[in-house]
Amino acid sequence: MKRRILTASPSRREFLYHSGMGLGAIALSGLLHQERARAGELAPRRGHHAAKAKSCIFLLMEGGPSHIDTFDPKSKLVDLHMTEFVKERNRFEASMNTGKRYFVRSPFEFRRAGQLGIEINAKLSNFADCVDDVCFYRGLQATSVNHPTALYHLNTGNRFGGDPAIGSWVTYGLGTENQNLPGFVVLPDLAYPQGGTGNWSNGFLPAHYQGTPLRSQGAPVLDMRPPEYVTQKQQETTLDYLGRLNKRHMQRHPSHAELAARIESYELAFRMQAEMPEAINLDAEPQETKALYGVGSDDSEVDSIGRRCLLARRLVERGVRFVQVIVSGWDSHDYIEKAHGTRLDSIDRPIAGLLKDLKRTGLLDETLVVWAGEFGRSPDNGIRGGGTAWGRDHNAPAMAFWVAGGDAPRGQIVGATDETGRTAVEVVHPIQNMHVTLLHLLGLDDAELTYFAQGRDKQLSQTGGELIRELVA
Amino acid sequence: MTRNIERSILQQFCRAPVRCVGAGLALVVLASAAPSAEDLFVETIQPTLKQQCLGCHGEANTFAKLDLRTRETAIKGGQRGPAIISGDPASSLLISAIDHAGELQMPPGGAEKRLSADVRLAFREWIRSGAPYVQAATALDWDFDEADLWAFRPVEKVKLPTAGVDPALVRTSVDSFILAKLAEASVAPAPAADKVTLIRRVTYDLTGLPPTPEEVDAFVGDDSPNAYKALVERLLDSPRYGERWGRHWLDVTRYADTSGYSNDFERPNAWRYRDYVIRSFNSDKPYDQFVLEQVAGDELFPDNPDAIIGTGFLRSGPWEHTGMAVAAVSRQLFLDDVTHHVGQSFLGLTLGCARCHDHKFDPIPTRDYYRIQAVFARTAFARRPLDFLPRESTTGFGLGRRPLEARIATLERRLHDLHEAARERLAEAKGREAAADAASSILQRYMEKEEAELLKLLRKRVTMHKLSVLRFEPLAMTVSNGLVREWDAVASRNSYMQPAEYQEAKTHVLVGGDIQSPAQEVTPGVLEAVERYAGFPSPKIPDGIEGRRSELAKWIVNPRNPLAARVMVNRIWQYHFGRGLAANPNNFGKMGKKPSHPELLDWLAGFFVDQAWSVKAVHRVILLSAAYQRASAHPNQAEVDAKDPENLYLSHFSPRRLEAEELRDSIISVAGELSDMTGGPGTYPQINADVALQPRHAMGSLRPIYEPEPTRRRRNRRSVYSFQQRSLIDPMVEVFNGANPDLTCERRESSTVPTQAFALLNSEQSRDMALIMGERLAEIPPVDRIDAAFRLAFGRRADDNELAWTQQFLEEMTDYHGRNPAQPRRPPDDVVHQITSELTGEKFEFVQPAYSGPYEHNPHPSDSSPEARALADLALALFNSNEFVYVY
Repeated sequence: MKRRILTASPSRREFLYHSGMGLGAIALSGLLHQERARAGELAPRRGHHAAKAKSCIFLLMEGGPSHIDTFDPKSKLVDLHMTEFVKERNRFEASMNTGKRYFVRSPFEFRRAGQLGIEINAKLSNFADCVDDVCFYRGLQATSVNHPTALYHLNTGNRFGGDPAIGSWVTYGLGTENQNLPGFVVLPDLAYPQGGTGNWSNGFLPAHYQGTPLRSQGAPVLDMRPPEYVTQKQQETTLDYLGRLNKRHMQRHPSHAELAARIESYELAFRMQAEMPEAINLDAEPQETKALYGVGSDDSEVDSIGRRCLLARRLVERGVRFVQVIVSGWDSHDYIEKAHGTRLDSIDRPIAGLLKDLKRTGLLDETLVVWAGEFGRSPDNGIRGGGTAWGRDHNAPAMAFWVAGGDAPRGQIVGATDETGRTAVEVVHPIQNMHVTLLHLLGLDDAELTYFAQGRDKQLSQTGGELIRELVA
Repeated sequence: MTRNIERSILQQFCRAPVRCVGAGLALVVLASAAPSAEDLFVETIQPTLKQQCLGCHGEANTFAKLDLRTRETAIKGGQRGPAIISGDPASSLLISAIDHAGELQMPPGGAEKRLSADVRLAFREWIRSGAPYVQAATALDWDFDEADLWAFRPVEKVKLPTAGVDPALVRTSVDSFILAKLAEASVAPAPAADKVTLIRRVTYDLTGLPPTPEEVDAFVGDDSPNAYKALVERLLDSPRYGERWGRHWLDVTRYADTSGYSNDFERPNAWRYRDYVIRSFNSDKPYDQFVLEQVAGDELFPDNPDAIIGTGFLRSGPWEHTGMAVAAVSRQLFLDDVTHHVGQSFLGLTLGCARCHDHKFDPIPTRDYYRIQAVFARTAFARRPLDFLPRESTTGFGLGRRPLEARIATLERRLHDLHEAARERLAEAKGREAAADAASSILQRYMEKEEAELLKLLRKRVTMHKLSVLRFEPLAMTVSNGLVREWDAVASRNSYMQPAEYQEAKTHVLVGGDIQSPAQEVTPGVLEAVERYAGFPSPKIPDGIEGRRSELAKWIVNPRNPLAARVMVNRIWQYHFGRGLAANPNNFGKMGKKPSHPELLDWLAGFFVDQAWSVKAVHRVILLSAAYQRASAHPNQAEVDAKDPENLYLSHFSPRRLEAEELRDSIISVAGELSDMTGGPGTYPQINADVALQPRHAMGSLRPIYEPEPTRRRRNRRSVYSFQQRSLIDPMVEVFNGANPDLTCERRESSTVPTQAFALLNSEQSRDMALIMGERLAEIPPVDRIDAAFRLAFGRRADDNELAWTQQFLEEMTDYHGRNPAQPRRPPDDVVHQITSELTGEKFEFVQPAYSGPYEHNPHPSDSSPEARALADLALALFNSNEFVYVY
C-alpha cells in the first residue's frame, strides 16, 4: 500500500544542449568530479543505525502555542482563576513579566480521544481521530522566551542563529532520494517567521543542504522561471549558445575540474524546473483527498494550511528528505480564546488530514511527523485590556510538542508538567535532547553527525545531548 | 596519557565530539572494567565538581554554607544538611539535587544544565563506594603538544632558504620559500601566466572588478620590464582597492547596517565604520594603528574622529534587547560576543570555547577568558556627535532624507486620525471633558481590533523611519567608558547597553558561562599563554574606568606578541591565493590547520612589522613574486595531481570562482552601468522582486516593503555599499555564498548549486543588465559588436570559431525577436500585505504602493530593437559562462 513516487529524469534535450551536444560529450574528462559534486553531496546515504522513518515533516507552530490550551489541560487553573500569581522576583526577570499577575483558566472545552482517553482541545474534532497515532510529550523545555532566539534554538540548536537547521543536518546525514528536487523544503506562510531565512539556513554546512522555501505565490523557487517576456525558444537558443561557449572554454582548461560541475548545476536546475511543477500540482490529487486536508475550504486559512500539508505529503512521497511547514500566529498574549481558537480551527482538518493520509498510504511508518512551537505559554497573565481579554505570555519551562510516525510511540503521553502547567516535572529534557532524539528516530547519531567548523567538530545538539528513550517505541 | 583520559572525561562531560578520541570512553569504563571509586573520582567526579560545583560551593564562595572541596566538608554539608551520606546515594541530597528529583536542582539553569545520565550514574556509584576524594591533576596543566603551540611561539628571524632554489626563478623573497618547498616535494613550478590572464587575475584580486579592454590593451602592449610592477602600483592606488579589501575585513567583523533578530532595527550610523574601513585600506593605514583604533580608539586617540568611528568595531555583532529579554543577560551576551570576536579577529583564537570550561585544545584557561572580558566591563554603547569629515561622502543626503521625512509625516497623520476617531467615541461614552486630554493608552480602549493592529504597525514604522533619518546626522556609532546616560529619542533599546545599570564593574568567572552562577572575581588581563610561550610579559591592565582597552590593544599589536602579525599576513595571503598558509585564518589553535610554509609565515610576519605594518608592502612582496604570476595550468598536471593534489605548494595558480559581490559588480560594470558614487549611507540595489515585496515581520507587526533606489545611478553602486540588512540578504548575494553577517567569515565558500543557475540566468537583475549591455552594444558598428562584448566580459577577443557561432546566434535571435515582440511591462500593482493578527488570530491587511515616489525603471525589451534584444541574449550568455565567473 506504501506509495513512493520517484520519477526518472525528464529529457534534458530542450533545456541545455539540444543540438546533439549532450552533457556526456562535453564532460567526459570531468565525469568523476561531476559524480562527486552531484552524487557526493546529496546522494542517498545510509544512516548510522536502522530506523523506520526515512523522512520528516516538521509542523512548526510559530509564536508559541499554549500547551495548556491544546494538549495539556490544567483543571487546577479553574480553581485558581483570577487569583494572584506570586513568584520570586530577581534581577533576571524580563520586564514583560513584572507587575501584578493572575492565574487564568483555559477558555476552551476539552475532550477525550483515543484508546487512553487523552485530553485534547475539543476544537480539534478531526485530529481526535488521530490521537492513537500520536505521542504527546510534556517534558520538553525551551530556554529562550524571545521569538527569534527560541525559533533559532528549536530549528538550529543555537539560540543565536547562524548554525545549520535540523533539515540541513538530516539531509547532510542521509542525502536525499530525489536528485531533481531539493532535499530540504520549507513551506512557510507568505510572511517568513521571525528570524527569517536563518531558520532554514545551512549554516556552515555546504550550500547543498540549505532549506529551499517554496513560495505560495509567484514562482515556487526564486527565479525558477525567467520573466514573462522570455519565450522558451529564446531560452533554449541562448542556452545552446552558452553550452558552446562553455565547451570551448573547457577545452582550454582541461585540468579545471569545477567547470564540469558548474555545467552540471545548470542541468540540475533544469531538472528541478521540470519536475517541480508536477510535484506541487495539487490538481492531480483526487477531490476526496483534497477535501480530507481541507483544500478548497471556504476558510482561506484552512485551505492554505491544507495545501501546504498536502504538498508536504507529495514532496515526501517524491523522496524529499525533510519538509518543514510553518504556521504562524500563535502569539496570543491577549484574547487567547479568539486568537488560539481561530488557529486551532485552521489546523484541525489539515493536520488530521495529513496524518490520516500518511497512514492510509503506508507512509506514516517511514515518515516522522513533528508538531512543535518555539516555547509554551504561561499559566498566568498580567491584567491587560481591562481584565476581560486575557491571554498568556511566553513560557519556556513547559511547552507543547508531539511526534508521530516511524519508531515514535503511538497513542501515549510521555512526561508531565506541574499542576498549573508552569514547568515540566517528569521526563524533563532540554531542546538539545529532543534534537538528539529526532535524529535518532531518523537513523542518525548526533555525536557522529558532525562537521568541522569554527575550530571544532560541530553538531546539531551543540555540545552533545542524550536520547529521550521514552520517545522511542 | 593522563591528559588523554582527562580530555576524554571532559569530552564526555561536555560531549563535544573530539577528533581522534573515542567517544563515550567513560561509558566504556563504567560498563566493562568496573572502575574503582578512586578512578571514578579522578576521571569524572572531580572534573565535574571543579567545573560545575566548586564555583559556588568551594573556591570563591560557599553558598548555603556548603563546601564540596573535601570529603569531610561535603559530608558535613550546609544549611540543608549533609550533601553526601557515604554508601547511601538514595539518601544523599547531592544525588537528588543533580537528578533534579526534588525542589533543589543543581547545577542551576534548568534541564539544559542537568548533568548527563552517565555522570549522574558515576556520582551514585562513587557515593555507594564511600565517596573517596583523591588528589589529581587539574585540568589545565599547561601540558600541550609542542606542535600545537606554533602560533604562540616567538616570530622567528628566518633566513631565506637556498637548498633547491634556482635564483633565476626568484622574483621576491617569497619565492625562495615556495621554491624550496617545491624542490622538497620534487614538483616543478608551472611557467608564468600570459599577460591577459595576469591582468585579469590581479585586477580582480585588488579591485574586485574586471580590467577594461583599454587597460588590457595597455598592459599587453607595454613591453617594458616594469609593466607588471606599474600595473600593481596603479591598482593599489585605485580607490576600488579599498572597496575590495575593505569588504574582506567587513567579512571578518560581520558588518551590517541593522541589529538582527526580531526588530532588526537599523544602526543608522554604521556606514561610517564601513567607509572608515575602506579609507583605512586605501590609505594603507599601518595595521597596528588600525587595531588600536578598533579596540580602543576612543581612549587612545580621543581627538581623532577616525578612531572614534573605528571603535564601532566592538559593536559589530548582532543583538537585540526587547521587553521579553533580561537586561543583565543582554549585557552579558554583548560581553561574550566582544571577547570572542576580538580573539578571533586579531589573535586567531576561539576564545569563546573557554567561556564555560578551560579551552579543550588550546592553552586558554577560563580565567583568561574572563580576564579579557573584564577589559570590556566598563565599555558602554554610545552614539556620539561627530562632525562629518571632508573625506566622508555626504552627497545625496537631501535625496535620501526628504522621502523618509515625508513618509514619517504621512504615518503620523494617520496615527493622529486613528486617535481622534477613538477620541470621538470616548467623548460619546464619557463626555467631551474626559476625552479632551485622554492619553493614547486610554484612547486605545476605544479602538476596534483592526485599528489597534494598525496603530501598532504605524508606530513601528515611525520608529524605524526616524532611526533611518539619523543616517544623515553627524553621529558616530561607537563606545565610551563608564555609565553613559544618553538616551535616544527613538528606539532607546537599540542603544541600551550601559554597563553600570545592571552590572557591577566587577567581573567574575561564570560557572558554565551562566550569569546566575558567578564564581571567583577576576581583574582585567591578557592570555597567560603568550607570556609562557612567547616570553612576552603580560602587561598590568588598569582596573579603573579608563585605559583597560588601551592596554589590551597595545598588547595585541606589540611585536613581541606573535599572534597579531601572523594572523593578518595569513589573511592577506589567503585572499591572494585562495588558501591561507595556515588554512583557518580565524583559528591558529590546535584545531586549525597547521601552516604549510611555517617559515614563510614567520618571514612575512617579521617583514610586516619591519615595514611598519604596511598592508600594501605585504601585497607587493606577494604580487610581485613569481609564485603569484604562475599559470593556472601545469604542463605536467598528472604528476602534480599525484604529488600535491591540493596545490599546497603552489606549483601553479589555483583558479577561483568570483565572490558574490564581484559577480554582481562585474555584471553591472561590463554592462557599463556601474555608478562611481563612493561612500555614504547604505544603498538599496535592485533585488528579486518577490523578496522585495514579501511581507516581513517586525516584532509582531509588518516591516515596510523593500524599495530599490529610485534612480539607476543610485541603485547600481558597488555591492560593498549595499545596505546590509541582517533579516534580508540579497538572494543573489546569498546564493553565491555571500558572507552571513551574523557570523565572522574567515573565507568565502564557493559551492555550486542549481539555484545559482536560476539567479544568474532568469533573474530580472541579470536580464536587465544584459539588456542595458545589449542596448550599448547596439550603438556601435555591427562588425565590432562581438569583439567588444568578448573584450568587456573576458578581456580577450573572440576567436574565429566563436565569431562564427556568435554571428549565427545573433542573426537567429535578431530574426526571432523581429517576429516576436516582447510583452510590454505591467505597471506595478499596489502591494497588499497580510499577517495573522496576534490580537484576533484573524487576517490583518495593509495596502501600500510598490514605489513610494517616482521611479526610473530599467529598459524593457518591449522598448528595444530586435538587434539590441539579440545582443542582450548574448550578454546574458556571457554572464552565465564559466569563463566569466572563474578567475585564472
